[in-house]
Amino acid sequence: MYNDSDNKQPQIIKDAKGKRPEFYQNDSDQLMSMLMVLASEINVLRDRVDAQERVAKQKGLDLAKGIEELELDDTALREREAWRQGFFDRLFYLARKETNEQQNQQTEQAYRDIIEDIALK
Amino acid sequence: MLNCFQQAHHAMLPQNTHDEASRQEFAKSLKSFIQNQLLPGLAPVYSNRVAKKFALQNGAPPKDRHEIRKGMVEDPYFKLYASINRISQELLWEATNVSIARQLPQLIDRAKQLSKTAACELRIPKEFTPPRYVSALDIHCMPGGYCSEVAADDVAAGALYDRGVYLYSMGYTGPNNDDMGRSVCNYLKRNKPDFKPRRILDMGCTVGHSTLPYKEYFPTAEIWGIDVGAPVVRYAHARAQAMGLDVNFAQMNAEQCDFEDASFDLVVSHILLHETSGKAMPKIFNECARLLRPGGLMIHADLPPFDLMDPFTQFILDNETWYNNEPFWGAMREMDQIELAEKAGFARSKVRFDNAPMAIMEFAAQTAGYDEQTAEEVSERDFTAGEFAPGGGWEVLIAEKPLANEDAA
Repeated sequence: MYNDSDNKQPQIIKDAKGKRPEFYQNDSDQLMSMLMVLASEINVLRDRVDAQERVAKQKGLDLAKGIEELELDDTALREREAWRQGFFDRLFYLARKETNEQQNQQTEQAYRDIIEDIALK
Repeated sequence: MLNCFQQAHHAMLPQNTHDEASRQEFAKSLKSFIQNQLLPGLAPVYSNRVAKKFALQNGAPPKDRHEIRKGMVEDPYFKLYASINRISQELLWEATNVSIARQLPQLIDRAKQLSKTAACELRIPKEFTPPRYVSALDIHCMPGGYCSEVAADDVAAGALYDRGVYLYSMGYTGPNNDDMGRSVCNYLKRNKPDFKPRRILDMGCTVGHSTLPYKEYFPTAEIWGIDVGAPVVRYAHARAQAMGLDVNFAQMNAEQCDFEDASFDLVVSHILLHETSGKAMPKIFNECARLLRPGGLMIHADLPPFDLMDPFTQFILDNETWYNNEPFWGAMREMDQIELAEKAGFARSKVRFDNAPMAIMEFAAQTAGYDEQTAEEVSERDFTAGEFAPGGGWEVLIAEKPLANEDAA
C-alpha cells in the first residue's frame, strides 16, 4: 500500500525492471530504437497533417496559404521548444533504461537466476 | 489483412490527445507488420542459413530449441526481428504511459467515485506482499508491473495494462479485451448447457477483462476477480462499474485465497499460470480443488504444453522468455498440467485439454474497425508460432471436481 504525506504530482514508472537483451554487438541497439521512435513521430506528423487537411476541407479553409504566411511569436517559439524537449525524452528512452539497469543491478546473470529460481519445482 | 480494430471507450480508460493516439496506433501497427511480414522470414532463414551453418560447425543440425536459439541469435535477420519486436513492446508502453502521466490524478478520482456507490465489494488488505514471480521482473516489460504504486489509491498500472494489452494484442481480443473470458463462457454454454454456476472466481484477473463476460453470461451469479496487484483490482472494480456490471474484486494470491472450502461452482483463470512459477502452479491447482464444490469446474485458459510441438515452433514461442521479461513462459509449457490436476484431487478421467473457439466474430460490425471480413480472418487463421492468439481458438485445461460419492482416484 502506498503511503505518502506529500501532495506532489505522482511520478509514473517509465522503465521495466529486468536486463534488456543486447541484440547487436556493435552498439546499434540505441540507434535502432531511436530510428523507430523517429518513425513513430513521422507517423504522428503525417496523421496530424492529414487531419488538418481533412478538417480544413470540411470548413472550407485554405490552410496551405495560411501556413506560408504565418510568423512565429514568442509564445509560439516557447511552445515549439517545449515540444522538442519532450520529443528528446522519448527519443532517448533506451539511455534512461540503461541508467536504470546500472543503478539497480539488473544484469543478464540476475535475469538467468530469476528464470532458474522461478521455474524450479 | 488491414487491421483497423479500435478499443471501445469506457469511463476509466485514459483519454488520448491526437498525437498520443497516433503514437499508440503506430506501436500497434508495427506489431501487425512484425507478425505478418517479419515473422514468416524466420523459418526460411533458419532452414536455409542457420541450420546449415550450425551443422557445418557442430557436425549435426540443432537438435532442440536451445541449440536452435544458439544458432539463431548470431543471424542478422533474427537480430532485426527480435530487436524490432522488443522495441515495439517498449514503444507501446511508452506511448500509453505518457497519456496516463498527464491525467493520473483525475483517473484516481474517477475510480474512487465509481467504486464508492458500487453494490459489490472491493477488498484491499492493509498488508499484502506480492509473490516474487511478479515483483522480480516487470512482466512483458510493462513499466512498474502490476503492483507498483506511485500515489495513494493508485490505478496507473490498471490503466496502463488496459490500454497496453489492447495494443499488444492488436485488438484481436475484441473492443473490451475480453475474448478469452467470452470464449470460455461460450464453450460452457455449448458443452455444458445445464451448468448454472452460482458463484464464480476468476484468478489473476488484472483489470477484469475476462472476468466481466461471466457476469454477462451468468447474470445471477456472484462473481469474484482476484489479483496480486492493488492498482489493477482498484481499476478493475471501477471499470466494471463504468461498464454497468456488479463484480467483486479483491487483492488476493491465487495460491492461498481467503475464501472458504467448497464455496465456488466455477474457478477460472486466463493467461495467469505462465506468469506464476514452478512452485506456485501446483499450489494454485490445489487451491482450485479446495475452493470448488463437488461437481464444480476448474478451467485454465493459458499456453498449451510444448510436448507435441516441433523444436523450431518451441524456439519461436520461447522468445518471450528471453526478450519479453517472461521468465516462466518456456518452463510452464514443460509442466504436466494433467498430472498437477490429478495430484490436486481431480480424477484423471475428468481432466482434459480442449479448444474454446475465439469469440471475435461476435464483435464484427459492432465497434469501430471490427468489420466482418477482418474479424473472420483473425478467427480463421491456422496456428502460427509467434503470432498473437492461436488462430482457431484458445487452449483450455478443464477439470471437474468429483461429486461427494465419486472416488477421486
